Amino acid sequence: MLRRLFFTLAIATSVLALNGAAWADITILVPSSSEGDGLRAAAADYSKLKGTKVEIVQAPYANVFEQGANAGATKSGVFDIILMDDPWIPFFAENGHLEDMTAYFKSAGMEGPDSDFLSKSLAICRNPYNTGPYVCLPYVGNAQMFFYDATKFKEAGVDAPKTWDDVLKAGKALTDSGGGRYFGYVFRGGQGNPVVADFMPIFWSYGADLFNADRTKVTIDTPEGAAAMKTFIALRDISPKGVESYNANEVGTALAAGAAASSINWPNWVATFEDPSQSKMVGKISYSTIPAGTKPGSSEIGHWTMGIMAASKNKQEAFDFTVWATSAEQIKISATRGNPPVRTSVFTDPELTSQEKFRHYPVLMEAIQASTPRPRHPKWPEIENAFGIELSKAVAGTITPEEALKNSQTAVEQITGLK
Amino acid sequence: MFTSANAPLTAPVRPGGTLERWAERHLRILMLAPTMLILLGLTIFPSIYMFYAAVHKISPNPDVPWDFVGPGNFLRLLSDQQFHVALLNTSVFTVSAVTAEFLLGLGLALLLDKYVRRLTFLKTVLMIPMMLPPIAVAITWKIIYEPQFGVLNEIMFRLGLPAQAWAGDASLAMFSIIVADVWQWTPFMFLLMLAGLASLPVEPYEAAELDGASSWRQFWDLTVPFLKPVIAIALLLRVMDALRLFDLVFILTGGGPADRTKVLSLYIYQVAYRFADIGYAAAISLFVLFVTIVLSTWFMKRMRLAE
Repeated sequence: MLRRLFFTLAIATSVLALNGAAWADITILVPSSSEGDGLRAAAADYSKLKGTKVEIVQAPYANVFEQGANAGATKSGVFDIILMDDPWIPFFAENGHLEDMTAYFKSAGMEGPDSDFLSKSLAICRNPYNTGPYVCLPYVGNAQMFFYDATKFKEAGVDAPKTWDDVLKAGKALTDSGGGRYFGYVFRGGQGNPVVADFMPIFWSYGADLFNADRTKVTIDTPEGAAAMKTFIALRDISPKGVESYNANEVGTALAAGAAASSINWPNWVATFEDPSQSKMVGKISYSTIPAGTKPGSSEIGHWTMGIMAASKNKQEAFDFTVWATSAEQIKISATRGNPPVRTSVFTDPELTSQEKFRHYPVLMEAIQASTPRPRHPKWPEIENAFGIELSKAVAGTITPEEALKNSQTAVEQITGLK
Repeated sequence: MFTSANAPLTAPVRPGGTLERWAERHLRILMLAPTMLILLGLTIFPSIYMFYAAVHKISPNPDVPWDFVGPGNFLRLLSDQQFHVALLNTSVFTVSAVTAEFLLGLGLALLLDKYVRRLTFLKTVLMIPMMLPPIAVAITWKIIYEPQFGVLNEIMFRLGLPAQAWAGDASLAMFSIIVADVWQWTPFMFLLMLAGLASLPVEPYEAAELDGASSWRQFWDLTVPFLKPVIAIALLLRVMDALRLFDLVFILTGGGPADRTKVLSLYIYQVAYRFADIGYAAAISLFVLFVTIVLSTWFMKRMRLAE
């Protein structure tokens, strides 16, 4: 009797294990953050509305990339949709992991995404950038903004910082008078993605870029790059000790605790800063676009986008869900769940803009339209790593800023094969 | 040929159908089969696959065929500066952390074994760090080291000492990682040393006492030689584990600042999963495996355990 029970259980378990992954009509890979939570809630609504079973698989940021890349490389078809950070798009698209959406738009009688989407939000979903076919649709409208404590800045003699010189002037005064407990500026100095993400807007605001316009030359070690680096190191000098290891959480905590007066940050932190249970700075933080250097400031765009996996066995269902989830109605619901929108109609919706918690929307919309994507290269993760190491060394003071630029130039040339 | 008077002349007829009788006869194999299959799938196959991958250039694009590069990936190790940095950092970490853990573990074991033998509660408390998941240890130390709001700098501040960027300062980051590792793994050394001390024979010590040998002489001439096999095993296990350090570095520093804490495991992870270069990652992994085997063999021979 016991043996029979054992065999029956073993067979039942095996059958369940084999079929477990196949119960859903659509499986979506998302990050375990507010962006993923928003899509999880939308998926539940979709299931109720359409009767389609949608399974959400959540993973930490870096693991979403890994799992998506593995699924793509093995053509496993385990995920139908991936919610991607936009710098990943060239990697996924150029390695054949993403489905070209053109045919699906045509069969749905659509030319493509409607014009209510912000143009910069749509541009990143085409590969090559802004010219190729659509390989995804934008879902979360992230772009960096400049966050600052207007009262403290005013006390330091700067009403509203327009340039990096303004930030340095006020920041230095605030750090000098802070007694080692309060700082004028704080940034993500952690090696790799964090330090690169917080350096790029400064780099661009001095007219520098990683590549020339036609992507035939690496252009890091230039006079413009040196000017940007000079400002970056000056900002380091007015930032808290240990900023070399800071990531988003440390920067967010410093601002929310009222221990730092300004930083470049992402809009998903607004909800934290305006939440009395998490922040001492409710209503005190002002938002602006990125300050100018020698050129107008430009944010780094960091949209979360929905792409259909090329190996998916449910592509039509995945396309239908993607179009539904990025519709104006759903993007508005997503905004109320804390995710920045990607559509003009939602950014300007009086029902939202009249609320205090959405007061940053006009600035964010302007920041997205003035944003720059990270260099669109399939080897971007490797480029970012190499550039991030040299920036980290400069921030830590183990090499000079000039050496950091020179080493970065050489490293990126080696990775890309460009000169 | 003899048969027992009680033995049946024919095999016993068992109830059930053919399949059930067959299953009954092969029950042991059937019970072991799932484990063997899992073992084959999770260890043997990946090992063979790793060797195969290490001699190929593997594109993340599934439509691009694998390109045989022979020893190419291994030759890349010679000119890869990031690999050299990771190798150096791993060596510094392994030597420093394991040495500190051994000395502290042995010291604590001698202290507790001789003087406070009855304090089992204290021994249990000392073992808690070892029982914690590595990720929990890393997060705990991240909070302790946090420059602005961390416990350590708060103490420094209250004592009027300058705050330090424990995980953020290029000259302190590796030290901070070593301290966290020593905190977690000293109890492991302590436990093994304590077990070793408990198994020592009493007679040689009594004889030494009669001969008037000092405590130091007893320790050096009796305890250390007797403990040698335990010390060898403890050091070997810790060295092998230290070479695979990942969690602490991943959470505390991400390999920075300035590449000062980039270790081999982290670099392999980056190459495999961030740069999608599986072939090269396999080659580095094989190198680490080779180093571990060579070190272990040399170590075992040195400690005269080989025979």
